[in-house]
Amino acid sequence: MPSVIYHRAYSRYSFGATHPFNPVRVEMMLDLLDALGHPARTVAPEPATREDLLRVHAEYYVRRVEALGAGEEVPDCGDYGLGTPDTPAFRGMDEATRWLVGGTLHGARLICEEGEKRVLQLGGGLHHARRNYASGFCVYNDLAIAIDYLTRHGLWVAYLDIDVHHGDGVQQILYEDKRVMTISLHESGQFLFPGTGSVHELGAELGRGLKLNLPLEPFTEGESYLEVFDQVVPAALRQFRPGILVVQAGADAHFDDPLADLMLTTHDYEAIFRRILEWADLFTAGRVLFTLGGGYALGAAPRVWTILHLLIHDLPVPGRLPEAWRRKWTATLEGTVPAALHDPTPSRFDIPNRQEIAHRNRQTGERLLEGARPYWF
Amino acid sequence: MLVRDIMSSPAMAIPAATTLADAYRFMREKGIRHLPVIEGPDLVGVITDRDLRLATSSLVPSPFAPGSPVSTVMSRPPLTADAADPVEDAARTMREKKIGCLPVVEDGRLIGIITGLDLLDALMRMTGADKPSGRLEVRLPDHPGELARLTATLSERGLNVHSILTYPEGPDSVRTVLRIGSIEIRALAGDLRRQRFEVVWPPEKPCPR
Repeated sequence: MPSVIYHRAYSRYSFGATHPFNPVRVEMMLDLLDALGHPARTVAPEPATREDLLRVHAEYYVRRVEALGAGEEVPDCGDYGLGTPDTPAFRGMDEATRWLVGGTLHGARLICEEGEKRVLQLGGGLHHARRNYASGFCVYNDLAIAIDYLTRHGLWVAYLDIDVHHGDGVQQILYEDKRVMTISLHESGQFLFPGTGSVHELGAELGRGLKLNLPLEPFTEGESYLEVFDQVVPAALRQFRPGILVVQAGADAHFDDPLADLMLTTHDYEAIFRRILEWADLFTAGRVLFTLGGGYALGAAPRVWTILHLLIHDLPVPGRLPEAWRRKWTATLEGTVPAALHDPTPSRFDIPNRQEIAHRNRQTGERLLEGARPYWF
Repeated sequence: MLVRDIMSSPAMAIPAATTLADAYRFMREKGIRHLPVIEGPDLVGVITDRDLRLATSSLVPSPFAPGSPVSTVMSRPPLTADAADPVEDAARTMREKKIGCLPVVEDGRLIGIITGLDLLDALMRMTGADKPSGRLEVRLPDHPGELARLTATLSERGLNVHSILTYPEGPDSVRTVLRIGSIEIRALAGDLRRQRFEVVWPPEKPCPR
């Protein structure tokens, strides 16, 4: 039985009503699972301790987050990416973030200590946070902290990041670590935040050849995405032989997402999730820890993550959305909610240079493998 | 950005009497391609790995012997830069003369060196690519005050601009590329379009049909 990790306190990680990183996304998802008759059976984590944070973050950085969370003035907080329009300070921000970190860490413990196979953490995925720098809505890096725990307990980790933004914080923190392979698929940094994640960023020292980046063209659609996904990820996993997959399952590569430019549909996400579960069975004895991540279209992200939840539990993915749920959230959000769990098929977009986009992505995949392979043998 | 901000200092140098073989060995050891040549405290020339290879190649009708002094092969007088020169001036000199380095000289004494790689580093710093940031590209009419109108909007939103590059695009417009310390460039682009800015990146998203 897969484990789902959640605590009501997760909703305290909130930068205000108009900020895109909105806890209502998870609320909508939980509500939808209820309405579908598959309520999430969640286990509650403890918040991470200060010591947990210091495995990855600098003490002077944690101290500043604590001070901002206590409502104190921190004049130099901008030097640490804090108190910015993207990552504003809020009351209790240290504790709220420690809840999310604690959840991801709890997932790692369930797999290490209880022999759990599939774990879904309904939050976290704060992949932009660096040792001493908050960025892109991310304060502490729950992923790097959980990965540190896993490697210390003997599991080598393949980290797979399907958020539309490059997983720069996780990559940077683990850049020289030979026990961790990171694979990030994202819209190219030439166009999208944070600007990094080129195929040439391959890791350093003993970690060389183990940090993989697939920067994709703007307006990439599912077919091309899945082609390079299949081209790169299984080859890398077969080579690295990880003990566990840690997956940042951001939903912001969806075509409806307001922050980015990839064109995935819910069908593409289902295909991606099915592959990941299959590869976990094939390469890591089924051990896989999913977190959420970006995903800012309220009409899309909760559906993507509901599909993930159903697939993890080997449940069928139903067609229509329950009418009561649609009515409730249409009223709450003052906007329309789609009619079905999946996007309408076929979803077609007016993309003039579709062939060229697919071609360039294919070449990027080849260039990545050419660059990394010499370090694999 | 000035030459002194990007130069390597102090610069390595060799005496004019050094043999070609020793100069070659020195470059290999240090992993460098450009060497200022000095006589006493004074800079007298520059020698590159290419100079050495061309001078001693067996393909040349009468190659120099490995024991010849570098003074026989080096470029002289050397082209130099001042530490207070803007980097774009140094770049122009290097491009026009098709050379790979400029020794930096103060009162005739060598105090540093810049190479093509240092200029690439400068380009990367100028384009702000070393900080988490998003790209915004706007086409502005070539009139006074347009850029100010754009940056005023960014300032109202509390956004930090890591870099701005502007270049002429046609007779009446300039293209401005900004790296902004924010993940929310699309929302910003929407605002700018409402204020009648012509935003080139990010573009409007294709609609499902």
